[in-house]
Amino acid sequence: MHNLSEEYKTLVSIAERTGGQPGSFGSEDVIYIVVHGNRILASHALPGVLIEASETGDGIDARIIVQAQTKVSKPVHLCFGHLADSGRQVIRSRIFLEEGSSAEFQAHCIFPNAIEFLHAMEGEIHLGPGSAFSYREVHVHGPEGRIDVRPVSRVRIDERAVYRGDFTLVEGRVGNLAIDIDVEAHGRRSRVEVTSKIYGKFDDFCQVRDIVRLTGAESTALIKARVVLKDRSQGKFLGLVDGAAPGARGHVDCTEVVQGEARAVASPVVQASHPEAEVTHEAAIGRIADEKIQGLMAKGLSADAAIDFVVSGLLR
Amino acid sequence: MLEPQMLFVKDLEVEREGNRILRGISMQVHPGEICGVLGRNGAGKSSLAYAIMGLPQYAPRKGRIWFDGEDITEWGVTERARAGITLAWQHPARYEGILVRDYLKLSKPDAGEEDLEEALKLVQMEPFYLDRMVDKGLSGGERKRIELSSIYLMKPRLAILDEPDSGVDLLALGEVMGLFKLLASGGSSVLIITHREDVAAACDRSYLMCAGKMILEGSAAAVKRYFLSQCEPCVEQKPENTGEAALNHA
Ligand SMILES: Nc1ncnc2c1ncn2[C@@H]1O[C@H](COP(=O)(O)OP(=O)(O)OP(=O)(O)O)[C@@H](O)[C@H]1O
Ligand SMILES: [Mg+2]
Repeated sequence: MHNLSEEYKTLVSIAERTGGQPGSFGSEDVIYIVVHGNRILASHALPGVLIEASETGDGIDARIIVQAQTKVSKPVHLCFGHLADSGRQVIRSRIFLEEGSSAEFQAHCIFPNAIEFLHAMEGEIHLGPGSAFSYREVHVHGPEGRIDVRPVSRVRIDERAVYRGDFTLVEGRVGNLAIDIDVEAHGRRSRVEVTSKIYGKFDDFCQVRDIVRLTGAESTALIKARVVLKDRSQGKFLGLVDGAAPGARGHVDCTEVVQGEARAVASPVVQASHPEAEVTHEAAIGRIADEKIQGLMAKGLSADAAIDFVVSGLLR
Repeated sequence: MLEPQMLFVKDLEVEREGNRILRGISMQVHPGEICGVLGRNGAGKSSLAYAIMGLPQYAPRKGRIWFDGEDITEWGVTERARAGITLAWQHPARYEGILVRDYLKLSKPDAGEEDLEEALKLVQMEPFYLDRMVDKGLSGGERKRIELSSIYLMKPRLAILDEPDSGVDLLALGEVMGLFKLLASGGSSVLIITHREDVAAACDRSYLMCAGKMILEGSAAAVKRYFLSQCEPCVEQKPENTGEAALNHA
């Protein structure tokens, strides 16, 4: 069992406050791992799920296998973080969902005091036939300073498998964020949905690069990004779907909202390298429409409160 | 101002992109009154509503607006709203990711579930709408009804409703008017903008607006009679000094 260190308690309480199911960490019927820096503070598995985790010089290496036909009923809770203001943490993970299995993972990445910190997640994910995997990554950063965050995922999806990835920053500064997701949906009728929601402020820099190759017949993909930038922050979004198989269908949907002196670039790229594939996109970069803000001001909200309200919906 | 009016507008002129769209409007709304503004497409009704609400794009180049005896001509939208003025847009904005519940609560932060359900019921909507989003998924009529229920929850001192009846086909006229009367009996004044003469006829008093001017004020019935018989073609009501103005009547 884990030792209930201060670090454990702090990380877990923040994770629970930001979307984690209260009581999950430490529970007998929930799968979880809590890592502070390169120390595994707690880890718990259940039958049908194998977890091998080892500490490295700057983080951990983890291998997680969800065995064939295992349906993990409660979300797997992962908590990675550090309470120091500087340092680095690199989480390398290999996740394999065997045929017919399903699981939902919630990763809480918590760096409440980070000023000079590098946090990298290098994930390799493989979904076996007919499996379903949903991965939600929630970040909590400090109110100031620049944290470097590099979530990198390589995902391979077999036939009829479903992948859902969701990145959200719920608190604090984005810092310097570069999301890099590369998915190959090579299985027939495989499905992919990748969503990123980011609120950049001050001089934050956020780069989102979501690439999905639909090489499986009748595979489908939706890439969705909601990026709100204010002050002097900058954002760059590249969403690419390649329809490379008959009947493949993909869509890229990106909305970037820019206030103040923020700057945004969005490049939705859709290509149909197979003639029977269909890929579409919509991208909008703009300020929040006056009528949206004024509509709320007419209910007594200040202009700033109105903007925050609109943004809270966009990033929901 | 000394008269017992709640809203007093005097000689208001608004220009947009070189077009004089309000050409010296004077009008008033009394406490607890349901007052109509009738006029054809392009008459300037919405522009008048925006100017009263204080949208900066509609800041008057001449004229003044008083509310409860205070000159609010220079006030911003939020200030006017906090003083009790609100506006239901002709086409209310949509908000991605915002629940109807949270949207309605803006109007009454301490509203309980029962208050919200009651406000929806008044516009013939079921409680399950509370868990819908105020986004593109709502039909135009649904969106407008939600706006009306949000105004009801706000209990403003002055509610300006820009064509509350248009697109709201399922609500019979009687029901829309019932909601306004409820607002008025609760102490709000209601300014209804419409181009439906039956809606105007059900108001306590009405104005007829044409080409950026008020051309008639009186009992709702008289205004309706005038609107039906003499108002067309309205182009005859060409205001003086128009020179540049190409006032297009749809
Ligand atoms: N931004 C603008 N620039 C130029 N002209 C404008 C602008 N906004 C409104 N107008 C013009 O002002 C006039 C009044 O418009 P307004 O929307 O107030 O009319 P309305 O009476 O509300 O019409 P409707 O019944 O169609 O809603 C119209 O001729 C319109 O074309
Ligand atoms: Mg109008």
